[in-house]
Amino acid sequence: MRSIRVDRPAPYPPRVSAATKPFWEALREERLTTTRCLDCEDNTFPPKPICPNCFSSRLTWQPLSGRGTLYSYCRVWAGPEVFREELPYTVCVVDLDEGLRLGSRFLDTVEPEVGGRVTAVFVHYTDATLFFFEPEAARKNES
Amino acid sequence: MREPIAVIGIGAVPVGRYGDALEHELLLAAFARAVEDAGVQKDDIGGLVFSHPRTYAKQRYFATFMAGYLRLQSAATVLEVVGDGMTGGLAFDKAVDEILLGKCNVCMALGVSMETQVASAEHMNLTMRAVGDVDFQAPFGFTPISWYAMDAVRYMHEYGATREQLASVAVKNRRHAGLNPIAQYRDELTLAEVLDARPIVEPLGLLEVPPRSDGAVALVLSDLETAEKLDRPYAVVRGRGFFHEGAHQISDKPNSMIRLEAAREASRRAYEDASVSAAEIDFAELYAPCTIVEVLASEALGLCPEGEGALWAQRGETALGGSIPLCTSGGLLSRGHPPLATPLYNVVEVVQQLRGEAGERQVRDAELALTSAELGNYNAALVHVFGKSV
Repeated sequence: MRSIRVDRPAPYPPRVSAATKPFWEALREERLTTTRCLDCEDNTFPPKPICPNCFSSRLTWQPLSGRGTLYSYCRVWAGPEVFREELPYTVCVVDLDEGLRLGSRFLDTVEPEVGGRVTAVFVHYTDATLFFFEPEAARKNES
Repeated sequence: MREPIAVIGIGAVPVGRYGDALEHELLLAAFARAVEDAGVQKDDIGGLVFSHPRTYAKQRYFATFMAGYLRLQSAATVLEVVGDGMTGGLAFDKAVDEILLGKCNVCMALGVSMETQVASAEHMNLTMRAVGDVDFQAPFGFTPISWYAMDAVRYMHEYGATREQLASVAVKNRRHAGLNPIAQYRDELTLAEVLDARPIVEPLGLLEVPPRSDGAVALVLSDLETAEKLDRPYAVVRGRGFFHEGAHQISDKPNSMIRLEAAREASRRAYEDASVSAAEIDFAELYAPCTIVEVLASEALGLCPEGEGALWAQRGETALGGSIPLCTSGGLLSRGHPPLATPLYNVVEVVQQLRGEAGERQVRDAELALTSAELGNYNAALVHVFGKSV
């Protein structure tokens, strides 16, 4: 999977808690992960200190492939003040192959395609790493 | 419902831009009209339920401040409710509760929402934190209506609906607003103007997303006995339903984002509560901030066939004179959208229609109506069924 370095802080960086620190540290090492319940086996995103399916607190970390399909997207031309410098940008909803849905940013060097295959891109800002997505084909062209 | 509740008084200021007007003074104008419309005396009013005003409102503890301002004593309740876009709907619902619980015979639901004092981009610094996980979604720059725009992309993908069909909702609502004296935008719009508007959350442009608006509404509710005694025209709440789907914007377990499950379940409960079917509804005033939302909600509430909401809009089925007129007030797009008061404005429109006081935009033989309120991406829905009579 590709990574990008951005020479400025993230416009709106996430907070890091004891519970989510392993996620953000793995992300910095370019691994996408989440929590999975040891009792009912259900996974969830974002990672949580409780299983939302059975409320168990016995959880483990599960690696995610970072691959999935694009469920939908839109291009934001009017955004929050803190994102002014990044406008316009494309946000998206992605269904990961592990059966989890998440929201993210889409790197649209090509026109996004609903239902198309996508793969994660690790975006290292100076103060945080975020996970964006791009078409799988773009990744192939890159390598 | 255990017993029907009457809406006996309505007061609303025209939706618009009120500059640096003070929240409570704007609300007072609506309050005075509602009380006069109902014909109640001060001592009759047993409870006050307010929409929690915006964070920017200088006056905090707004509800108790207002009780003091009006020197109004209450043995039922004085409180503010909050629930994002659903806020005004919850204020109304809570006022119904107070009467049903027997805590008072007359309760008011009030809301003032002033949006235009703060620039849109600055406002979104706040609202982006409401419509997503602050740590796992906000960092990507989602805005409240970006979720609806993604609904639009998905809907067009699944059903082959066209941009023209979606845009026709905005044209229709503007035509309705032209007939509504309290609407914010009343000049006719053409389909081309809607399609050519500058992009906001592409594919949706400026005229398919809500304007910035200020507004204030006051409603007087009562039990039926009180309503009968007052001997003035009133409308009746016949049923209600609420549902939260247990998801915030999106479910982490992939499902259909465009089915609006909460609206389906809430309306199913409301129809059952009112002992009516969707087919019997004569018109509806929907909480629909964008063209696509009106389409999706019309399907989820059972008012238009599955996957044909956009087509129905284009054919004029949802316009005045059509088979199921939607948003006869002009809706959020053209009547305007002061979010915390919007669901209360929807009740105002329904009551005017059911009392036969809607003038040029009167729905003929209007007897049964529906309102919806929602939050997030319709993750929760609150539906009320209204009747001309019990």
